[in-house]
Amino acid sequence: MKSNHGSDDDTMKEMEREILANIQLCINCRMCLNMCPTYEGWFTQGSFGRLAAINAYFKYGLGEEERLSELLYSCATCRRCQERCKMLCTNASPSETILKARNLLVKKAQAAERKGS
Amino acid sequence: MKNTVKSVVPVGHRYIRGNVLEKGNIVGVEEDKAAWAKDLDLPRQAEYTFFAGCGYQFMKYAEGMTRAARTMQKAGIGMDKSISMNIGMSKVLGKVGIDLGTITAKVAAAGKEDVYTRILVSAVSVIRKLGVDIGYLHQDEPCCGSPLYYAGFLDDYVENAQKNYELFKSLGIQKVIGLIPACTSSLRNLYPHYVEGFDLKVYHFAEVVAQELKKKGIKPKLKEKLVVTYHDPCQLSRYLDIIDEPREILNNIDGLELREPEPEQRGQWSTCCGGGGLEAGSPELCERLGRRRAEELLETGANVIVSHCPACIMQLKNSVKKLKADVAVMDLVEILDEALE
Repeated sequence: MKSNHGSDDDTMKEMEREILANIQLCINCRMCLNMCPTYEGWFTQGSFGRLAAINAYFKYGLGEEERLSELLYSCATCRRCQERCKMLCTNASPSETILKARNLLVKKAQAAERKGS
Repeated sequence: MKNTVKSVVPVGHRYIRGNVLEKGNIVGVEEDKAAWAKDLDLPRQAEYTFFAGCGYQFMKYAEGMTRAARTMQKAGIGMDKSISMNIGMSKVLGKVGIDLGTITAKVAAAGKEDVYTRILVSAVSVIRKLGVDIGYLHQDEPCCGSPLYYAGFLDDYVENAQKNYELFKSLGIQKVIGLIPACTSSLRNLYPHYVEGFDLKVYHFAEVVAQELKKKGIKPKLKEKLVVTYHDPCQLSRYLDIIDEPREILNNIDGLELREPEPEQRGQWSTCCGGGGLEAGSPELCERLGRRRAEELLETGANVIVSHCPACIMQLKNSVKKLKADVAVMDLVEILDEALE
């Protein structure tokens, strides 16, 4: 699979660009927080917090991927936040972005495993 | 080591991925796929092809596994990455005295009345009562692969989707009726995006039934009066945009009173019960979500909670049991089958 490294890197860059462009649309209104079924008072338990964590990790390299993975996989992908965003705000599609971030995280891990082995 | 699949994907999701890729179903059992359809005499070729999906067929096994996963997390084992990273799921479960093999064997041996596969039988019976020509692929029905997509394994998902499309094409399938919301949304919304030239027509059970009932002017009738509330599954209401059809069906049934939850908790805004998306990743959080949703639904004062998704049914059943409420949880299909002559 070594010959695929180049195209793999390109795909990952494209995915990252897409994710960050989506997050740019978010105007931080936090209307999605109360929509999120997993939100229990902590900012990172809601969709807005997850987007912030994704942004911090992929754009600025802040945070650890284990912690980011915990936040991403605690999302029920129910899309309730996305409906609210579509109706009230800027259509930043938080639910879709979280799924894309999961994909990217897995892809990065698989690429790193291939390089390591 | 940094940056491994094991460190970024929760053990439950990885386990399901292995099952889908190796065994072609979410729980990883080999026997009795399509056993429910043995006596139904379903042809392999027909105008519509029924897509049963993994959910209802294997929910009896999944139920035991979810319980095991919850016990695990409560015992602090799922939380400890170092353990789940180094040894497999079955070994982790073995640590708390749970053997997956025994769970599946026990369920199979007890031959206990399986409430979930019964729903599939009812679904086929409803479709037949409405006069729709339906076939089923039996053992050949593939797994749609949606757990792969939601766990982040996009490459595996796309590969599986392409393989399935070729299979569908080689069998001459054109129209599919899906029963499980997640499978249907996967086939209808995701496949066209990832499979080149995808041209199957995918319908959901509720759409077909609502349309046929209207066209034929059939009015189903219940023997006993029921007061029900309807829980919108996320995949059905927000992914597939099927909100009115189940309500049309329920309102059309004679002897049934539909009590809706609050406007901000139904339809497009329906609260997630946590059933589908969280069981594999965060079992404890999933339990809390289920309790909250069940409380919302109980406030309507209905005697029966109706939903239309295997994960929601399982989750709400557990939550209602935990809350010790005297309320039944039923699938839309069961009520419909009872009400149709």
